[in-house]
Amino acid sequence: MLPLSELLIWSLAGVLFGALISWIPGFHIFNIMALLVAVFGVGELMPVQAFPFFAIGAIVAYAYVSAISSVYFSVADESAVFLLFPTQRYLLLGRGHEAVLLYLIGAVAGTLFLVIGALFIFPRVLPPIYQATSPYITYFLVAIVVFMFMSEWPKEGDRGRTPAERLWLAWRQILGGVLVFFLSGILGFVVMNTNLLPTTSAYTRLTPMFIGFFGMSWVILNILSNPPMLEQVPDDRVESGLYNTLKASFGGALGGTIAAVYPIITGGMGALVAGHMTSQRGDDAFIISQGVNRVIYYVGAFTLLFLPQLRLTRGAAAWLVSSIYTPKSYAEYLAAIGVILLSAGISFIFTYYLSRFLAKSFNVVHIKKLSYVVAVTLVVISYLLTGPMGLAVLFVSTAIGLMAAAFNTRRSYCLGGLILPVLISMTGHTGYFMHLLGLG
Amino acid sequence: MRGFTHYISGLAAATFFAALVGDLRLGILIPVIAAAAAYFPDFVDFKFGKFLARRDYEIDPAPWDEKKHYAPKLVKISELSEENRYQFFAIEGTVEGILVKGSGKVSYRVLREDGSEETVTESYNSIVFTLNDGTGKITVEAFGDDYEFFEEEFGKIEEGKKLLVFGYVDVEEDGSLKLVVSDAPHPQGIADTIAKAIEEAYREGERIVKIHNIRLPGDVYRRFWVHLDPPKREVRVEMGPIVTPGGVAIGGDVPEYRKYGIAKVGVPFIKTYPKPTRIDSFSGPEIAFRRAQFKGKTVVKDRFLPWHHGFSHSLTMGMIIGLVVFAFFRLIGYEHATELALASMIGQWLHVFEDQLGFMGSNLLPPITKDVVPGFKLGESGSGLTNFSTAWLMIAFMIWNFNRFTNPRAIPISDAKLLLLLAWPSIMGFGIAIVRSFRLRKEISELMDYYTNLEAFEEMEEVGGI
Repeated sequence: MLPLSELLIWSLAGVLFGALISWIPGFHIFNIMALLVAVFGVGELMPVQAFPFFAIGAIVAYAYVSAISSVYFSVADESAVFLLFPTQRYLLLGRGHEAVLLYLIGAVAGTLFLVIGALFIFPRVLPPIYQATSPYITYFLVAIVVFMFMSEWPKEGDRGRTPAERLWLAWRQILGGVLVFFLSGILGFVVMNTNLLPTTSAYTRLTPMFIGFFGMSWVILNILSNPPMLEQVPDDRVESGLYNTLKASFGGALGGTIAAVYPIITGGMGALVAGHMTSQRGDDAFIISQGVNRVIYYVGAFTLLFLPQLRLTRGAAAWLVSSIYTPKSYAEYLAAIGVILLSAGISFIFTYYLSRFLAKSFNVVHIKKLSYVVAVTLVVISYLLTGPMGLAVLFVSTAIGLMAAAFNTRRSYCLGGLILPVLISMTGHTGYFMHLLGLG
Repeated sequence: MRGFTHYISGLAAATFFAALVGDLRLGILIPVIAAAAAYFPDFVDFKFGKFLARRDYEIDPAPWDEKKHYAPKLVKISELSEENRYQFFAIEGTVEGILVKGSGKVSYRVLREDGSEETVTESYNSIVFTLNDGTGKITVEAFGDDYEFFEEEFGKIEEGKKLLVFGYVDVEEDGSLKLVVSDAPHPQGIADTIAKAIEEAYREGERIVKIHNIRLPGDVYRRFWVHLDPPKREVRVEMGPIVTPGGVAIGGDVPEYRKYGIAKVGVPFIKTYPKPTRIDSFSGPEIAFRRAQFKGKTVVKDRFLPWHHGFSHSLTMGMIIGLVVFAFFRLIGYEHATELALASMIGQWLHVFEDQLGFMGSNLLPPITKDVVPGFKLGESGSGLTNFSTAWLMIAFMIWNFNRFTNPRAIPISDAKLLLLLAWPSIMGFGIAIVRSFRLRKEISELMDYYTNLEAFEEMEEVGGI
């Protein structure tokens, strides 16, 4: 293991790196880390043993600071053609800073859950439970996908003039979601199983696809909707009860843990499951649970790489790091927990002050202008990581991400890009589908 | 219970069959059918039943703009008629003439939280003018608090000025229409229609009312409550604040003089669920009013979401699902079709049982039973405690089953000990829910006494002459 002083330096460098890029809309820490490795490599600029700690600092920072982009830079216009996220509604009401504070409450709760869990619960409970349930992961995965489809809440249809029209309006949205899932799935299958993208992009071949699904489509919606830049209240005030906070924290922790431990199940899917299990309601509860969920999902999943008896590789960052160096000792595990606490403290302060600053100066630079800059940056990242064909993938996945918004369905259906090919592979049908698509 | 609670019960039901667990270990995912079967009753009701159900009355206090999908809808004056009374619309036109600009004092009745009425007198400013949009003319009136808002928004009103003004439609004594400036529909229209439906149900047998919600720009909703008061024989509708879909109130309370709508009902009725119906985000409810017998008298009973908890939520449907699953999977040659059919049937039955823990109840064994069997009232369907306790218990069962059907066992302790270790959060949760339910039942019993107070009931009967 590295000496403590070096470990701290690299962890702090990770926090700084994560904090500086995580507030920018459309940027994801996994993409940027992949870019960093692709362009600079690891081992020259930093020791390989330092990389996991640099990564954990960056991921903690992302889990905290990304609240800024989801609150301030994902605004919607007044027409509200698309349903809004609670954070967007807070922004439209001038309460963006309050939304960030609610998120931070959740993030701190998530950090505490994670640290306590990592110290006292995970080492004892996770290995046997995981061993008992891991042969059935495909069952859970396919069950969650089926539930996503079956539980889609029709947002339209109530006002149709006839029963047939009502049914059609409701099912148009549901079928739209199914279409988005399968189109994403086909794209993901092609990207994963063909040489569409260069072999040199082995670790980043999914990056342009995810940038398109979630980052670029979001940025384009910002540009198209030309949202109003409303004055924000920078006061430190939140409206939420203790019971709501505790309930939301518990739900968020449950969803985050499910997503962190089981592969392919993302934070959003975990939140869907936990939200139903604990019957969450209320915008404040939603934002708090998001804070908890994201910390446990991103940071917790990565921490599993350090857990000696289990050492699960969960998430793109863990795969990237484990390809270079895998932590091996309990000392590293305990050091990782310490780094989480330290990074969380710094990230909290950074996010809080950045939010106050943004709330005070929100209408100085219009989101539309910022979105143009981000869009160009995302194109450059995709090109650097995956070449010209990556841009083609980016274009198609952006279109699919925009389709999800147009159909008013869950954006998480785009995860079909990951889930469908993995399910096909897990059930041993890759060859059959290659043949079906005329690819082999 | 929430959807996932039912769904996970089906997932757990499948794991009680060693053959199905064996299939899952081999990557055969067919047992997920049991989970789909467990969720099936809600799937059918909310994806089909809800949209195909009959509606005798459709109350839309604030029709949507068809392109933007929120209210108020921009309408032409020529499109409006008496049928639109109390509905919320927007009109764009030119001020043609100012009829009255005045001030004075006005008195109106308000309803306090304890149910008492009070007369309030206030000063007011008002303006009345005619607006022409090219298709016709309408009188526009701004009054009291709404006048203040109107003046702030439009400044000085002069002839020839173009305005986009919103408010609710009202009818003058001479039958002409006017638009009363406001930020919400008037609740009287909702109350009148519900009262009419109850009276018709008493004569005709049944009336189903669909009440639409009020969606405003920015994905927020105007909340309102429908309160049925059997002893007073009143339908009271109260306009509330603007709320987000997550239920957070963000202000926008309406002035007292257009906050309440009260309609008298000329026939006896009872309310089966002892709380007012709240309408805000997602979609508005359907309520069936049905003629029924209560303590030897003919009354009208309400039934919330009449298309829900019907045949789909019966044990009979579980048997049908079991038979269909068995027939289909036997036909395609699935080796464990019998176990899958049983798991699917049990999954659906678990759904019925779990819902029976709540308030609505279900028609359990049609065609043998004809009506809904009331629920056990352990907690409301949205209760986090009962949902979590049930879902966690199902997770415990799954882990327990996976472990005991695996050789060698991943968790090498006795089955009883493992189940206890896994299920203790659920046991505690159900314990708390049961204790709470006693308190809840007492409260409900007191409320039902109020709703069905026979003394008031008889007295009203004499007044009503029934």
